[in-house]
Amino acid sequence: MAEQNVTLSVRNVSKRFGDFSAVEDLSFDVRAGRVFGFLGPNGAGKTTTIRMIVGITAPDEGSIDLFGHKISSALQDRIGYLPEERGLYKKMKIVDQLRYFAALKGVSAADTERKMDFWLDRMQLGDWKKKKTTDLSKGMQQKVQFISTVMHDPDLLILDEPFSGLDPINVEFLMDVISEFKTQEKTIIFSTHLMETAEKLCKDILLINKARKVISGSLREVKESYGKNLIALRATGSEAVLADTSLVAKTDVHADETIVHLNNGTDPQLLLRRLIDGGAEISKFEEVEASLNDIFIDKIRGNHDNQG
Amino acid sequence: MKKFFAVVKHEYRKVVLKWSFLIGTLLLPFLAACFGLVPMFIFSLKGEPTRIVIADPTGRIEPRLKANLSSEIMDARARRAAEESLKDFTPSQDEQMKRTATQFPQRFEFISFDTKGALTNDTRNELNSMIVNGEADAYLLIPANIDSGESAFEFRSRKSGDIVVNEALKDALNDAVRSQRLADANISEDRLKELTHEVKLDSKGIDEKGAERDSGGTLVASFVIALMIYITLAIYGQAIMGAVVEEKETRIAEILFSSARPFELMMGKLVGVGLAGLTQLGIWIASAAVIVSIIALQTDLSSLIGTLPTISPLMIVYFLIFFLLGFFIYASIFALIGSMVTTVQEGGQFAFPPVMLMLIGFYFSFAVVRDPNSSLSFWVSIAPFFAPITMPVRILSEMPPFWQIGLSFVINAIAIAGLIWLASRVYRVGMLMYGKRATIPEVWKWIRQV
Repeated sequence: MAEQNVTLSVRNVSKRFGDFSAVEDLSFDVRAGRVFGFLGPNGAGKTTTIRMIVGITAPDEGSIDLFGHKISSALQDRIGYLPEERGLYKKMKIVDQLRYFAALKGVSAADTERKMDFWLDRMQLGDWKKKKTTDLSKGMQQKVQFISTVMHDPDLLILDEPFSGLDPINVEFLMDVISEFKTQEKTIIFSTHLMETAEKLCKDILLINKARKVISGSLREVKESYGKNLIALRATGSEAVLADTSLVAKTDVHADETIVHLNNGTDPQLLLRRLIDGGAEISKFEEVEASLNDIFIDKIRGNHDNQG
Repeated sequence: MKKFFAVVKHEYRKVVLKWSFLIGTLLLPFLAACFGLVPMFIFSLKGEPTRIVIADPTGRIEPRLKANLSSEIMDARARRAAEESLKDFTPSQDEQMKRTATQFPQRFEFISFDTKGALTNDTRNELNSMIVNGEADAYLLIPANIDSGESAFEFRSRKSGDIVVNEALKDALNDAVRSQRLADANISEDRLKELTHEVKLDSKGIDEKGAERDSGGTLVASFVIALMIYITLAIYGQAIMGAVVEEKETRIAEILFSSARPFELMMGKLVGVGLAGLTQLGIWIASAAVIVSIIALQTDLSSLIGTLPTISPLMIVYFLIFFLLGFFIYASIFALIGSMVTTVQEGGQFAFPPVMLMLIGFYFSFAVVRDPNSSLSFWVSIAPFFAPITMPVRILSEMPPFWQIGLSFVINAIAIAGLIWLASRVYRVGMLMYGKRATIPEVWKWIRQV
């Protein structure tokens, strides 16, 4: 991977608040022009990491390079950051807020007007520009917030739970907009709890828990490393074999099938043979890929078990 | 720097475009103008002259009274009254005074009435019917025996509410009767003037350089200045706190901090709101200057202005400088508090210490007016927190030596640098801490944090 293709490089970064370690020895790269899923449960250290990336706080240890440089005020202008905790000035007109946020990102006055009108139209908020925040619905406020994130045409977009509070139509709409950014070779860091959405959007993922990296890589790699161990099974008389802990780690019983988690290194063919030998009647036996949700839950839970 | 100016502009507009600002800035001078100028304007309107019938059985008071109401005498009277308060007349004041004086006798029209040497009830009836018929507006009955204290002068008027005319008439009548009584006692007019010359008690303070200063209105003016600075500091300090809390409460801080340095943001806020305060004070001072100079043109009220201490442009510059010093001192404290708390209400509880400091400064200003050269006055006018209120008061009551003003400026500027340093360190951490109010030990930790 050539160095210029890396938008963001995080190296051995740690951040502590007193005795509490928020981020511990975290390293990862975000490649240019890709959507990067930054995943983890609440309190894992995502927000702290993002704050260090956008230059709100500095790491205690390690280094963060953005576009090949240390973070600076000029580089901040190339980032569009949509925080999870967000808000607008309550009693200010939408246009005035957007103008202010654009000015803080170094956009010239003329550019601001043009881009603002473009985005307000695009978000179907053209009629609302002279209104105050308190006159807008929650979803509209979200869209205004999104405009303030993208209006200065950033090269790196950091979206923390961008879909929260949006109805399905607006989620779909925003997904389209984000996909468009993807085609424009913009880099997007996408932080969410919604694994389905992450699965749809992200090329690469990073999962952190309790301040540390749990798993990282392309979505493909991550899933492949899991997929071999999952079997979707529909059978009768399989109980005895499935209870064998030398083969099976655990089973998830669904309505019409059972997801069998094999132990590491167990060959699915071995399970199949054992089932047939055991006299089970099999109507479905299929190797399936783990969903990101499965991986997430499995990894986080495993993480807890190891420590517990 | 570009971002800093964007913040300044944003904060300035946010304050200045508020209704409360517009009302406060424009309404106050407007009200002052109304209360100051409108009555003056109404009084200066020339009504119909008052037609007075003078029934003078003695025949000696009437000519004296008419003479006393002549323009020359009126002019001289006004001059004497003004001289006590104003040292020099400006040419325009002089001109104005002459005009008012010449206009004055035109307010009276005398109708002679032959009493045939005696006053009877018939005379009274006849005079009453003249008023009822509209031939006259008022009549003055002069008793036959003016020497007796018992004898009553009767003045009846349809326009009894015309205070200006009534007062002038009363004064003129008093003078006329008094001089007639003295003339009856064989005291000549010249001798009379010598005898009745008023004692002039010249009460003026003397400052260190031996220059005289007026003490009359200084107390009032100082009170007004101290109150004005105190109120503006309190209002704009709280405005800063409100703006900081809003950005924290709505989580806008997160977006702001990802776009500009916290120090830039905080300073931009202080400077923007400070400029808005300066704008308001500037408009107030300018309109006060206009109102005062218009009033000064009117002799009727010039005696009022005369008691006010003279305010030079240099003094105004000093006031504005010390206002700004005070603003930055208190605004940085309020910004610090705002970034510690989670709601404006919580901030209100913490605002007590700075408000207390301001109030103490305000009270100290009374001690300063009473004795501007005491060592207490010296210390409170250079002490940080108090100087922004007490120094302008001291300058107004008596210009202190320049080195003291300079010392006060330097000490307060150092205090500001320290407070802004503290505030910016708390701001940068506190603005991103949600959920609960920070404790003092926590804040102390933030301050020491690199």
